[in-house]
Amino acid sequence: MAFAWKAAGLTYNRYLAVASRVVRRSLKDDKRIAAERRGEMELRFAKWENGKQGEMKNVASANEAAMAEAASHQGSS
Amino acid sequence: MMLSRAARPALRAGAAAAARPAALNAPNAATYATLREIEDRLKSIRNIEKITKTMKIVASTKLTRAQKAMTESRSYGQTSNTVFEKAETKPLDGEGKKTLVVVCSSDKGLCGGIHSGLSRKVRRILAEKPDWDLVIVGEKCKAQLGRSSGKNIQLSFAGVGKDVPTFADASAIADQISLLPTDYASVQIIYNKFLNAQSYEAVDVEAFSEEAIAQSPNFAAFEIDDDVLSNLREYALANALYWALAEGHACEQSARRNAMDNASKNAGDMINKFQILFNRTRQAVITGELVEIITGAAASEEG
Repeated sequence: MAFAWKAAGLTYNRYLAVASRVVRRSLKDDKRIAAERRGEMELRFAKWENGKQGEMKNVASANEAAMAEAASHQGSS
Repeated sequence: MMLSRAARPALRAGAAAAARPAALNAPNAATYATLREIEDRLKSIRNIEKITKTMKIVASTKLTRAQKAMTESRSYGQTSNTVFEKAETKPLDGEGKKTLVVVCSSDKGLCGGIHSGLSRKVRRILAEKPDWDLVIVGEKCKAQLGRSSGKNIQLSFAGVGKDVPTFADASAIADQISLLPTDYASVQIIYNKFLNAQSYEAVDVEAFSEEAIAQSPNFAAFEIDDDVLSNLREYALANALYWALAEGHACEQSARRNAMDNASKNAGDMINKFQILFNRTRQAVITGELVEIITGAAASEEG
């Protein structure tokens, strides 16, 4: 595996999100507030099975959970 | 959409009210009630007009921001597309593999037929390829497509369309899509293309799978390690989604502006009509009263 973040179970987009969050946080205060608004995400999602909508979940926490799972999966294999 | 539904009963009632005074003028006591009825209806239409006017102004301001975000996001999407154009990437003929359709609508209504246009296009695609899977962004298309083809839906997202979509939104959606268990031959993103302030069109943009990229005829023009390819694919998907979301958002705002403009105009027409009706009825009532008084006076003089 060529990339450390890939080994940690992150997708490229997640890696981008983390990197951009770090950049935004290191900005000066006045710029930072405007920039951090661009990084906000309040999506909710639901999985569908056989035409039925499942439970609504927060995307951010679900993404983190899925990636943590992927990481442990790769660690064990 | 909700407004037109709310306005229609009032229209029907308005037509009924226009027919009623003639019928009800004979028993004179009823005229007062109709007068008040007309007044009440006038008031409520005026309120609706106020609401739609305000919504139009809000949509106009949001539209300028949305358009700016759209032109910015367009360069993202187009740059990412140039890579595939140069590599001459074509969608794979998916043998046994499904294509995923991502529908980019939003949570809010009151903006004309913009969501149903998307739903119609998706239904047309599903009529040809009934086994393709759907991912739906936004409550409106979810409600429409959930009824007709709920079995195809894999994921649905809510919470978009409040503000200009961010790249964080797009990449989170892209992540969820790449986490889906099924391996898709390609991903089609359906969104409303912004033609001008008056018109939009439901179109699709393709995001390719790794094999499709790897098998593109001019792939050798780029130096890409195999490891990086999946990153490129994820990133391209997020780019395309961001583009689609931003453009769809701009379309929605412009459509809402137009819808609210029309609603305000209709409300203005109705106010005029009711004002005339109100004045006529008021005069009829006064004339009626005068006739009563004069006949009463004449009768008492005689007696």
